[in-house]
Amino acid sequence: MSARTAQGRVVEVVALYAGCGLAALVISGLIVEAVGADWSTVGGALLDGSVRKPGRWGGTIGVTVPLAMVAIGTIISTKVGLVNIGQEGQLLVGAAFATFASTRIPGPGPIVLVAILLAGIVGGAIWSGLAGGLRYWRKVPEVLTTLLLVSVASNLVGYGLKKPWLLLDSEAKRGNRNLVSEQLPADTRMPRITLFGNDFAISAFLAIAVVLLIGWMLNRTLWGYRLTVVGHNRRVARRFGISESVQGMVAMLASGGFAGLAGALMLTGGDFANYRMVSGFSVSIGWVGLLVALVANNRALAVIPMAFVFASLRTGSGFLASTGIERRVTDVVQGLIVLALLLPPAIMFIRERRRALAAAGSRV
Amino acid sequence: MTKAENGLESGGPAASGPPPAVCTRLLSKSFGAVAACDAVDIDIHRGEIHGILGENGAGKSTLMKMLIGLVVPDSGSILVDGEPARITDPVAAAALGIGMVHQHFSLVEALTVWENVALGDTGRLSRPGVRTAVGELSERYGLRIDPDALVADLPVGLRQRVEILKCLRREPDILIFDEPTSVLTPEESDDLFRSLRGVVEREGRSVALVSHKLTEMLDVTDRVTIMRNGLVVDQFVTAEANAGSLARAMVGRDVRLRGAEQMTPVDTGVRAVVDGGGSPPVLEFRKVEVGESGALLELDDLNFNLMAGEILGLAGVEGNGQRVIADLLSGLRNRYGGEILVNGSVVDVGQPGKALAAGIAVIPEDRHDSGVVLEMTVAENLMLSDPAGMSSHGVIDGSGLAEMADGLIERFSIMCTGPDAPMWTLSGGNQQRVVLAREMTAEPEVLVAAQPTRGLDVGAIEYMTDQLRQAAESGVGILLISSELDEILELADRVLVIYRGQVTGEMTRSEATREKIGRLMGGDIL
Repeated sequence: MSARTAQGRVVEVVALYAGCGLAALVISGLIVEAVGADWSTVGGALLDGSVRKPGRWGGTIGVTVPLAMVAIGTIISTKVGLVNIGQEGQLLVGAAFATFASTRIPGPGPIVLVAILLAGIVGGAIWSGLAGGLRYWRKVPEVLTTLLLVSVASNLVGYGLKKPWLLLDSEAKRGNRNLVSEQLPADTRMPRITLFGNDFAISAFLAIAVVLLIGWMLNRTLWGYRLTVVGHNRRVARRFGISESVQGMVAMLASGGFAGLAGALMLTGGDFANYRMVSGFSVSIGWVGLLVALVANNRALAVIPMAFVFASLRTGSGFLASTGIERRVTDVVQGLIVLALLLPPAIMFIRERRRALAAAGSRV
Repeated sequence: MTKAENGLESGGPAASGPPPAVCTRLLSKSFGAVAACDAVDIDIHRGEIHGILGENGAGKSTLMKMLIGLVVPDSGSILVDGEPARITDPVAAAALGIGMVHQHFSLVEALTVWENVALGDTGRLSRPGVRTAVGELSERYGLRIDPDALVADLPVGLRQRVEILKCLRREPDILIFDEPTSVLTPEESDDLFRSLRGVVEREGRSVALVSHKLTEMLDVTDRVTIMRNGLVVDQFVTAEANAGSLARAMVGRDVRLRGAEQMTPVDTGVRAVVDGGGSPPVLEFRKVEVGESGALLELDDLNFNLMAGEILGLAGVEGNGQRVIADLLSGLRNRYGGEILVNGSVVDVGQPGKALAAGIAVIPEDRHDSGVVLEMTVAENLMLSDPAGMSSHGVIDGSGLAEMADGLIERFSIMCTGPDAPMWTLSGGNQQRVVLAREMTAEPEVLVAAQPTRGLDVGAIEYMTDQLRQAAESGVGILLISSELDEILELADRVLVIYRGQVTGEMTRSEATREKIGRLMGGDIL
């Protein structure tokens, strides 16, 4: 009896996910039709742009990398019970630090590259550390501070891009060009390789290794254990000498550090803004990375496939221009996908409650 | 209907006469694979106090929650006055005349008594109307209370009265009480039961009394239904039962009872005089103060000693500072005045982990609050006191952990599916064993046991009691914080009584009597 119900439940869950996915597709299709395009062309363009056309995997992987970094950082802060939603700003500050380091640090390329990445981590960690510090010394909710620091970050970076002593490329100032930073010299860029006709930066391997490592550390080390205890029961943590503020602060710094690393990888990877810092550099990777962590349900292993799905939407949307429709349609599609992944658990919960009530009613 | 009449057909559904006020037929409810209630038949008649006795996890709470509409049954039926009833929420239950006084009060402290009673009313609020109603009710049931008093100012016993008045105002035919005496002094308990007897006999209402205290069942109820593992295992007419028969039915085997015959255990007084030959007490409180200056202090100039191998009972009505003491010794309070010494040296228990490192183990009053992490596994909970010992270079030694956990699960007979079972899947008694196992393996100097048998069944109480005695015999100083006098009298070598954050009395076990402690608990000075 119970085996049958368990099986029924699995079927139900699968059907729900399929149904929600289908609904998301149908609604996306309707919206596409409504803006005057043909859904099959649009769908085709999305697939072409992300994975189907030769070489497109490379670009999609390039977007997957920073998304995965932001998401794994988010998982760390969530584990300790903090809500960090300012990855967009942390990423931007990380990228700015990375840019600054790239123009100031002399030395052989590979060493500078490492320094750039470290600078990115430091920048992101400083930005999230501000929020963490306010949380533990002044009890300011980190939800507010991380969010508000995003606009502070984007204004600061905007300012930096106007000043040659900060980020602005002095060449660019003389000419009548946009506010951009100096381009990274070729030897400090992330090396790229080509596999099966897809060209991408080797940071992809770094990203996979980092995600696996953090996933393992969260589950198998004392560090992850302590984070989990604090995240679930602060009083138990305190009793056993686990300092909530130390663990929280470390998690917050790590979370921002990974967002900053994402920014540095975007700068050195070449898939964004051609090895330069430009205004609006973060292009919402921080926000989308947050969504990746959300739909991955804070499981490290789910981060990579989920980041790839969201990256595909973004690279696919680049091919929409040829169909003549607004590429922001993909933002709608992205939102619908998030809903399709988050709704089934909620629906299951409500259905089980209703079923219990109905059962109570039918017995009388 | 008299007590004798409805007592005659104990165990079976009423064959004749008026239908029971409420009865259940084959009522079942499962949570996952666990049947909390399995085909439960119970009859609660008009004019009786019906006791529901059972081990922790026996299903008595679930049964009551189904009657009040907080839990929806999987199958079976509930009949109110012989009519099938559909109870989907507490509002529906109230409409059918079923009301419940919960173990944890739901009162708004900032409001007065009458305002609390009026909560949940609809339509226009009539202050004189409600006040008069409160006055009448308290007159009728002998539950004297000032309708204009602020709930925040009331002691726990009076708060419970407010809770009861709230319930009685809806004129329920069936009143359910969940462990009502856990927060009361013995006198207050007697008052409560006198009122309940009045409600039942004069007005023909029914009372369902959920309790794990055998003496209460014997003294107060007309009939008792005993549950075990979700099943009704027996029913007694109380007059024909005794403590032994009730306990046997409840646990399913013979148990050693804490009761009158054990009131003077042979071993007390033997251990009590472990003076240590001049060595310092394992735990000492010197002028400890907690609380805002100016406001009422939670602990007020508190002094006491605990010797090695001694069981020191701290008696008192709940809310007089016991919890603060346990919190302090768990390292959960930042600020306090005075000094706390372990083995003669001062320990700053305000620093997280310091108390633990000094050798203070704690079985907390509310294990979910500061004892276990429900979302983590049994093994992970067991390693909390010494995570470094279960790891090398920061990496958790998975197989070593499983081995350690398996050993403790075996030694402390923890019922669970294994070291990887999430803590929330364990019953309360087994969660308590996990806490005990962890705290004892830390080889403490001091063991603080706060309400260690609360909510446990007779069998588990016996186990816990034995463990505490053994720990004391091995030289651990035990601070037993309990609001149950029986527990204190059975275990303690020395008794302290705490009232409003101060020690109001101290006596050896041989000097202690229920009456003496009871008076001190109520604030009398000897």
